[in-house]
Amino acid sequence: MISVGIDSGSATTKAALVIDGQIADRVVLPTAFDFLSAAEKAYNGVLAGAGVDKKDVSGVYATGYGRDSIKFADRAISEITAHAIGVYHLYPAVNGVIDIGGQDSKIISVNGGRVTDFLMNDKCAAGTGKFLEYTAKALEVPIEELGSLALASKAPASITSMCTVFAESEAISLRARGFKKEDIAAGLIESVARRVAVMVRQVGLKQNVAFVGGVAKNTGIKVVLEKELGISLYVPPEPQVTGALGAALYGIS
Amino acid sequence: MTHFKSLDYVKNSYNARICQITEERKAGKKIVGTLCLFVPDEIIFAAGVDRVILCGGKNDTVSIAEQYLPRNICPLVKSSFGSIINDGCSGVRSCSHFGLVDMVVAENTCDSKKKMYELLGDYVPTYVLDLPQRPDSPEAIKYFLGELEKFKGVMEQLTGNKVTVEQLKKEITSSNETRQLLHRLYDLRKADPPLISGLDVLKVMQKQYFLSPDELKKSLRMLIDEAEQVKADWAREHKPRIMISGCPMAGGNTKVPEIIENKGGVIIAEESCTGTRSFWDLVDESKDPMIALAERYIKIPCSCMTPNDRRIDNILELAREFKVDGVVYYTLQFCHGYNIEKYKVQQALKKAGIPMLSIETDYGDSDVEQIGLRVDAFMEMLS
Repeated sequence: MISVGIDSGSATTKAALVIDGQIADRVVLPTAFDFLSAAEKAYNGVLAGAGVDKKDVSGVYATGYGRDSIKFADRAISEITAHAIGVYHLYPAVNGVIDIGGQDSKIISVNGGRVTDFLMNDKCAAGTGKFLEYTAKALEVPIEELGSLALASKAPASITSMCTVFAESEAISLRARGFKKEDIAAGLIESVARRVAVMVRQVGLKQNVAFVGGVAKNTGIKVVLEKELGISLYVPPEPQVTGALGAALYGIS
Repeated sequence: MTHFKSLDYVKNSYNARICQITEERKAGKKIVGTLCLFVPDEIIFAAGVDRVILCGGKNDTVSIAEQYLPRNICPLVKSSFGSIINDGCSGVRSCSHFGLVDMVVAENTCDSKKKMYELLGDYVPTYVLDLPQRPDSPEAIKYFLGELEKFKGVMEQLTGNKVTVEQLKKEITSSNETRQLLHRLYDLRKADPPLISGLDVLKVMQKQYFLSPDELKKSLRMLIDEAEQVKADWAREHKPRIMISGCPMAGGNTKVPEIIENKGGVIIAEESCTGTRSFWDLVDESKDPMIALAERYIKIPCSCMTPNDRRIDNILELAREFKVDGVVYYTLQFCHGYNIEKYKVQQALKKAGIPMLSIETDYGDSDVEQIGLRVDAFMEMLS
């Protein structure tokens, strides 16, 4: 049985094609303006990559922010459910998921692949990928390098503002006061990690926690988050596609 | 869900009520505006006064209020203030009643309301009913009784009418009738699936303190009769049964219930001021009317009271009685009382094995997608 999951996120669109419960191909591309056309591109991408004909696909399942605009999908499910299923498939011992995405972060409590509780950040960008993307600009550092830069810090600066815009001003004023770039970077990451850690404790996650979403690719953030939480986090090889994988597997179950 | 003709009647009752109030004022009757369940209708009506609720649920008048009030207070307080000082919020449809009151009967509940009333006094005569906030202390009931006596005096002074024991008893009986009708309406929601949607019930509850008691009772009877008849041909499909718990949803504010019911859930009870809190307990008709009123009203489990364990017990009792699958804990931004009590409610529900989703929001639409995602995930979790 062949099924496809499409995770239509605010920043990137991800697709995963699953054959008999195993992932055969995945695609990650920028969403740009049009959710639907990015989803079509991603869908065609995994079909070509796995060498599968459209007519052999038994179902397409959409998730993510744009899930309801993917008209060709058979069903839409929330990314919270999708991540839980996707991570459980890769890591059956999991009982918690931290997903830091482009515009929100989610903490999910999982039992046997089922969501038992979850928490999302409130409606601002604090504790999200957007926060890092925005504040990295204040340091003139590409977002991909923010994590490794932070690892070099010996004395992280203190960033106290939760608000993305004010945190950027704070970073600029630290720059003006002569703080090192790596210390400010570490401070920014710590501020996200602290915010996320509060949510993790609210949900009550303790062990066997996976870290997914685009931000999980960033080693520096993983390290700081682990330190903040006092546990080691499981990061799948491709943390961005667990939502799409979960959506595809949802169709099979 | 079935379309009820009696709900069209309720919906169209606005203009008729405005005409009624306007005529009453012309004939010399006094009208007061209230913003809280703690102000007893019975005393108002016994003095020959009419009343309308002034709790604002519309976003349009929030920005007017922000010229006077800080941004970070709850939208209900801002919307109410904006609507009242804007004299029936000119330019905003369906809220002319805000400009038709001779006096506001306010109350000391939360800080935002308390301080807002101080500013409101510059625009419209405002009387504040003081509430003891430790309702279980032995002094509280005595003090509250005294406050109700004072309030009775204020109503007598406003009208020149004397409030008699007979009049009070008559109004207590009348209000109890309304409460019993609401119990009957809520009983229809205990069926699985319920006979009426949560959104339909909310739209009636939002008019509970707007309509005259007679009109409200007439509407409730019509609606109950109509809903009881659809029983037979009801599609039998179980949807996640959701109870809302938390802040009131004033007229115009239906954002979250709409999302919940569009996403496949069905709301079967609201533990809120626009729900069970308003009618659950009756007033004891065998006692001295003023004492009976004091005893009934002081027990309203509002988060301004401390300790407020009565509310937790009530939530658990409602969850059992209405066979709730999950609770959506609804709070307005900056409503500290209900926001802080969330922790205790969550602990109690966890112990009882009932999942809870927490949503904190305002009157704007910017978070509709984010709330939709949470509700989607919650429904998936419950089914």
